[in-house]
Amino acid sequence: MAERPSPLRAQDKLAFLLSLVPFLMEHERISVQDAADHFGVTPQQVREAVELIAVSGIPGETGQYQHGDLFDLAWDDFEDNDQIVLTNLVAIDDAPRFSGREAAALIAGLQYLSALPENADRTAIASLMAKLARGASALPSQFAVEGSESDETLALIRDSVASGVQVEFDYINSRGEHERRRVDPLRIESMDADWYLRGWCHLREAVRTFRLDRIGNPTVTTEPITTHAADVHLPDTLFEGSEDDLLVTIDVAPSAAPLLADYLTDGAGSTVVDGRSRTALRVSHYHGLKRLVGGLPGMVTVVEPADARRAVAEWAAAGAARYDAGDDSGAGAT
Amino acid sequence: MPAASVSKIPVEERLFSLVLALLATETGLTKNEVLSTVQGYRQRYRAGGDNANLERQFERDKDDIRDLGVPLETVDTPGQAGNNQNLRYRIPRGSYELPSDITFSSEETTLLNLAAMVWREGSLSGESRRAVIKLKGLGLVSDEPVLGYAPRLRVRDAAFEPLRAALERNAIVRFAYLKPGEAEARVRELAPLALVQHQGRWHLHALEPGTEITKTFLLRRIVSPVTTTGTTFPAPIGDQTARALEELDEVWASHTADVEVVTDSDAATRLLKRRGTVRLPSGALRLHYSDANIFADELAGYGPEALVLSPPALREAVRDRLLRTVEEHAAETRYPEGVTHG
Repeated sequence: MAERPSPLRAQDKLAFLLSLVPFLMEHERISVQDAADHFGVTPQQVREAVELIAVSGIPGETGQYQHGDLFDLAWDDFEDNDQIVLTNLVAIDDAPRFSGREAAALIAGLQYLSALPENADRTAIASLMAKLARGASALPSQFAVEGSESDETLALIRDSVASGVQVEFDYINSRGEHERRRVDPLRIESMDADWYLRGWCHLREAVRTFRLDRIGNPTVTTEPITTHAADVHLPDTLFEGSEDDLLVTIDVAPSAAPLLADYLTDGAGSTVVDGRSRTALRVSHYHGLKRLVGGLPGMVTVVEPADARRAVAEWAAAGAARYDAGDDSGAGAT
Repeated sequence: MPAASVSKIPVEERLFSLVLALLATETGLTKNEVLSTVQGYRQRYRAGGDNANLERQFERDKDDIRDLGVPLETVDTPGQAGNNQNLRYRIPRGSYELPSDITFSSEETTLLNLAAMVWREGSLSGESRRAVIKLKGLGLVSDEPVLGYAPRLRVRDAAFEPLRAALERNAIVRFAYLKPGEAEARVRELAPLALVQHQGRWHLHALEPGTEITKTFLLRRIVSPVTTTGTTFPAPIGDQTARALEELDEVWASHTADVEVVTDSDAATRLLKRRGTVRLPSGALRLHYSDANIFADELAGYGPEALVLSPPALREAVRDRLLRTVEEHAAETRYPEGVTHG
């Protein structure tokens, strides 16, 4: 993501200050390092925040920020030992509430994750959501995400990730071919309604991403995994380009551009042709391309190479031919 | 304070001082009292002079603080109701502080950290980041690091942010919406009630102003920027998101299609795993869907692996799509040589 605008950063800092004060009140003495570890920030960020808190306060009766109206700190302990001990407190007694939007973001996140085995106890989740709503200073904002049902494959993969053992499953690649794969499961990932397993594939001897809905007959083995998450590079983005990728020139309707964002080459420029953007797409082979383009009919057209156009045309033609093969198929079913 | 140090007061120090001052006051402070006494303002305050810049600063700061969930409220000075100059500002402690009976177990903290992780882009990543900071302030430690997961929800639709902002302010919105099958987008004016993600797609649930009719719109079919009209509507009562999701689920449940799939194909595996899919005695799959046009796109992607048996309209829609793809990818390129860029 690009740099955030500065007002946001100031708001983050304010949230940190308002949360750090009650935390320090709970811990009468804590090291800068421990506080930094707890909040997941650098020791320097903690020091700066503590220094700011220590000179802050309220205008008070005189409107002059007199000594008793300010927070105070055991400065020697702070400067010599990196220990935080607040010696005077003002204004703040307790932790702040969530904003309506913050509560809604967490509630929607919980709804989204309702498929996870961790969330099997629906009553517990419902009570957690209710607590968030009650702990917000305003009604949670009106956005939400559909919950999903627990999925056996997901539960099984989750178990194998947690216990660090290999899994085996049938996998259909986008060529439509079946293979029995043995995988060191490293991370369960998702993007909206789709779930993936990122793992070390013993067959390919490389990190691979598997769609959970393409996995069949999974079994958890007793073999411990041999490649760990720390041994390999697990990128943040789901779709990683590789050296062997094929480059395809496409025309995309504006409405479909966001749907293709993951496949577009970095820094690929685009020109506008007939109201569509002409840009470059990265695919590992045309079998994946024909499914992708076939699923965005009228929105994406492959321009070149000719092989890629042909692969798409043949795939769609084979599909269309099934409808012409005998119009009896439709009548019988209902 | 010497002028040289004035500019060095950081934004967060001014905001923090403002929160402290307004929390500490029972009766509230007038704007003038804030500007003349609170750290970060007082250094720039000119007694009896023009403080217009400073007043604008205060307005922006109030918005920033409220954005964070701090309930900054205004009260009339006793006996001077309606006099704007004498409005008093305060932060009532009871609505600022997290109620003391709200606590989170370590299991709950783990779940909340995971829930916050799903928003990794857009403004909601900022909201969840700040929510996590507040959770940490409670001194909570989760019982295990959530290493094995990287879930994510995306908000790629440009319409999401402006709609969400309008929702919070109960503002009527205007945008052009392209309904499938219609040649031209039509401009709509609507009262936004809820934004929900269903089957991986974001939808707006909205009320047609002046009526009782609610409708649902797919964000990806909004083809213009979203603007507000300047009019607001009364805040709806009750949980609008639950209602919106319920309606979408009803639509999904009522639409079924029978699809023949090639054994062991990608279509067979994936379509069988869709929520609610049933295998019929004939071997065909009975599938639920929300939107015929989107489902037809999806099915067309399976090429020869999936054949729609019914309903006829869906069958026709998939066939049309396949033929269109064939036509657009015919051997002859539609574009003259000169236009193609390398």
